[in-house]
Amino acid sequence: MSKHMITLNVNGEDHDIVVASNKTLLEVLREQLNMPDTKYGCGTGECGACSVLLEDNSAINSCLTLAATMDGKKITTASGLEKGDKLHPVQQAFIDHAAVQCGFCTPGMVVKSVSLLAKNPRPTEQEIREGLEGSICRCTGYVKIVNAVEAASKAMAGTAG
Amino acid sequence: MTELKTVGKSIERVDIKAKVLGTAVYAADIKLPGMLHGKIVRCFEHAHAKVVHLDLSAAAAVPGVVKVLGPKDVTSKTYNQSVIDLMASKTEGAMLGDIEEQHIFTEHVKFWGDGIAGIIAVSEEVAERAAKLVRVEYEPLPVYITPEESGHPEAVQFTPHKPGNRAFQLPEEMFPGNALGWGDVDKAFEEADLVIEDTFYTPKQKQCQMEPNSYVALYDDSNRLNCWTSGQMPKLVHEKIARLFDLPMSRVTIHQTVVGGGFGARLGMVLEPEICAMALAVPGRPVKIQQPREEDWLTSPSRHPARYWMKIGFRKDGTPLAVDAKSVNFKGGYYLDGSALASTTGFWLQGMYKFENLRYKGESYFTNQPVCGAFRGYGNPQTNFVLEQMIERACVQLDLDPLEWRRKWHKETGDMSWLNATPYTSCALNDCLDRGAEVIGWAQKRKKYANQTGPKRRGIGVAVGNHTSGAFPMILEHTTCTVRLNEDASATVLVACSDMGQGAHTSLTQIAAETLGWPIEDVRLETGDSDANGFDIGAHASRTLYVGGAAIMKACQDARGQLLDRAARILKVNRDELDIDNKTIFVEGEPERSVSAVDICRTGIYNFIDHATGLPEGELGQIQAYVSYKPDQNSPPFFATFVELEVDTETGEVELLELVSSHDIGKAIHPAICEGQMEGGAQQGLGMVLTEEMYFDERGFAINNSFTDYKMLGASDMPKMTSILVENGDPYGPFGAKSVGEAGVVTPVGATANAIYQATGIQFTQGPITPEKILHEIRKRGLTYD
Ligand code: FES
Ligand code: FES
Repeated sequence: MSKHMITLNVNGEDHDIVVASNKTLLEVLREQLNMPDTKYGCGTGECGACSVLLEDNSAINSCLTLAATMDGKKITTASGLEKGDKLHPVQQAFIDHAAVQCGFCTPGMVVKSVSLLAKNPRPTEQEIREGLEGSICRCTGYVKIVNAVEAASKAMAGTAG
Repeated sequence: MTELKTVGKSIERVDIKAKVLGTAVYAADIKLPGMLHGKIVRCFEHAHAKVVHLDLSAAAAVPGVVKVLGPKDVTSKTYNQSVIDLMASKTEGAMLGDIEEQHIFTEHVKFWGDGIAGIIAVSEEVAERAAKLVRVEYEPLPVYITPEESGHPEAVQFTPHKPGNRAFQLPEEMFPGNALGWGDVDKAFEEADLVIEDTFYTPKQKQCQMEPNSYVALYDDSNRLNCWTSGQMPKLVHEKIARLFDLPMSRVTIHQTVVGGGFGARLGMVLEPEICAMALAVPGRPVKIQQPREEDWLTSPSRHPARYWMKIGFRKDGTPLAVDAKSVNFKGGYYLDGSALASTTGFWLQGMYKFENLRYKGESYFTNQPVCGAFRGYGNPQTNFVLEQMIERACVQLDLDPLEWRRKWHKETGDMSWLNATPYTSCALNDCLDRGAEVIGWAQKRKKYANQTGPKRRGIGVAVGNHTSGAFPMILEHTTCTVRLNEDASATVLVACSDMGQGAHTSLTQIAAETLGWPIEDVRLETGDSDANGFDIGAHASRTLYVGGAAIMKACQDARGQLLDRAARILKVNRDELDIDNKTIFVEGEPERSVSAVDICRTGIYNFIDHATGLPEGELGQIQAYVSYKPDQNSPPFFATFVELEVDTETGEVELLELVSSHDIGKAIHPAICEGQMEGGAQQGLGMVLTEEMYFDERGFAINNSFTDYKMLGASDMPKMTSILVENGDPYGPFGAKSVGEAGVVTPVGATANAIYQATGIQFTQGPITPEKILHEIRKRGLTYD
């Protein structure tokens, strides 16, 4: 198995690491960098539990991304969304709206929502629902997640304006 | 009643910050020094076969493989991965015919993916590589998908304990005629003005909890077997594992991690026997199994698929004279909770309406499919799909309003509940129906949709149900709780209740804080390790808040009483003259006569001698209260769901427009958590009735064991949802609360089927009601929608 030396920036910290060419970004985050906040739910790009944020605010499924292709990239995971001791407005909204049950989908769901709001700061309810397709939650029925994203959108508009 | 400070409020969940940050630790997140990786070798060549020869030598020779394990390398003892058998007494279990027939690694493969060997290696990759080198010779056996096939006299026996491969039928000793119920059903049918009869099928649905099962186990240097798992019933698993490996319970600990959803899939054990066998094979070294989703799919139990026949007789005025029913479950390869599900499916039937005569028979047959066990609702959604459609059909034929019929004939406070052994303690179903009907606009829409034209047809349907709060008096109920007041009077509540993600630990903390009179920050639940926090059955039967909450409430009342007793001795008054505010205990009406709760707690522990008097500074002893609590009621919650939808009769597609559920839950301890249960339950109920089914080909191979091919409703498929909490208070539940955990899944099933009936004029008996089935029925009947 060939190996690659890459520099990967996760949540603001550079990691110089050697990765096997068949390793996914998810495996490298969880196993090599000991960052288990990104979750394995299916490994086939169907559940969104493994979503991480790229610099351009797009969210990708880390289970489908080979780590070797990430040289020089900056990514943000759920735990990296907190600034200082202040949660990201999306995370705060998930708390305020009780949009979390078992929490296993949550890191990916939060990342996906941050990405969605970066691209579309004032989404309609339907746009939120469509934007979250591909992220499965089996606990909440999505009601409170959609409410939280709506509230985060408002809160972020407030801070921006 | 004094005003409640925390109960009834949607406070911040105790576990939520770690969850939004991703720092909550699930089993897959656990890493221990020197950890090895386990892989289970599964049979993917056959769904039914005998292992004739197993050669592990090539696998063992792979560099990095530490150990290979075949059936002979692990305990020869058998087990039952479910824990329901532990909850029945010996005599009851014998009558029910519960068995333990599973092997850690089998030589008789009973479903596609059954485990035949284990590999322990330095990494997952090495273990996987080695697994591919295992050489197996199989003797293929006929594959049985239906009860008729496996029940055939010539069929290969799954286990010698169950002749004819009938895993279960209601036992004669408990249910004469192998049937439960009352009255004379056959005679009643003769008197009926209308008799309707049909056979339904309810699908094999998967829980799809988002966290695949993972485990770590370690047989440590003090000869203790540790297992980290996200099981929902750690305490009973503790006993099962100790028994299976002949260890005293004092040498086993089940460490419960954060649970990434359960919905029944983690009721009892899944791979705990395999991981513990591996850990025992390499003492001193931790072993981890991370199940891939495709395998989790096959090894954790699913909902039982069932064929369900029902016949109901009515008088012209709608009086429900008699119901006769039989459900036959497809059990899968192993017995598990074989006795319970076939029984409860009937219990939900006998608990719903005031049938004058009732007979129900329940049976289960082994089949060559992955195992079936608990899934949220436990037979209730199945009964809802059948019974609520039958009622609807009768209402149409008798020209009765389906909502009024239900209002008139559902069971009430004082009527016998689901087990026909204890009465309903409270019932606010009519309030649920009234409020739900108003929110969704039932009367107008029902009328409007009665006359439609065009290929797109709308329908609105209603269904009602009830469930239980705990398993009393069917099987064991018991929770212990210890409350300790710390040096600063803050409270540590030791209780073994699980939080499966539903929020139980938050609601239970609220109950403790409210009872003690302490702010929520001063109360912490200590849960998790199965040998540290006393006994609790675990999360099933919607019991945690009702039973665990009551246990906590009693223990907190006791601790508070002890505190007041000490204060009364200091203040030289009677205990009932005292009150507590802000941790100050004072004489009512004389607030200046007071003593600090913190001082009492602290001096009880830091019990110095006062040099001036030579006496201790306070009463010796940390304040600690213990209860062993068994409920004597099960306060069933009632609920109603309304569903409005549109069917495209040209494509068969169903668009869900609106769902309104109202639940008579007594009292919402944490309203947002209660709504969350109803909303999440609805997603699963709607999935069961519309899209979700595990498919297998004729060889018994799974066709759709991934989220790609198994269709769950996503965010944009879900309808607009409203959850209504009806809080009339129950006389027995803690603060008047009844359960809500499982209830949410039940009535969306019947209500959706009934809405489709109004829209299309067709009742679909075979779940799930997919577009293909809708189109097929329309064509078969030659219907046109112009
Ligand atoms: S784990 Fe990547 S999409 Fe499911
Ligand atoms: S909170 Fe459990 S899967 Fe979303």
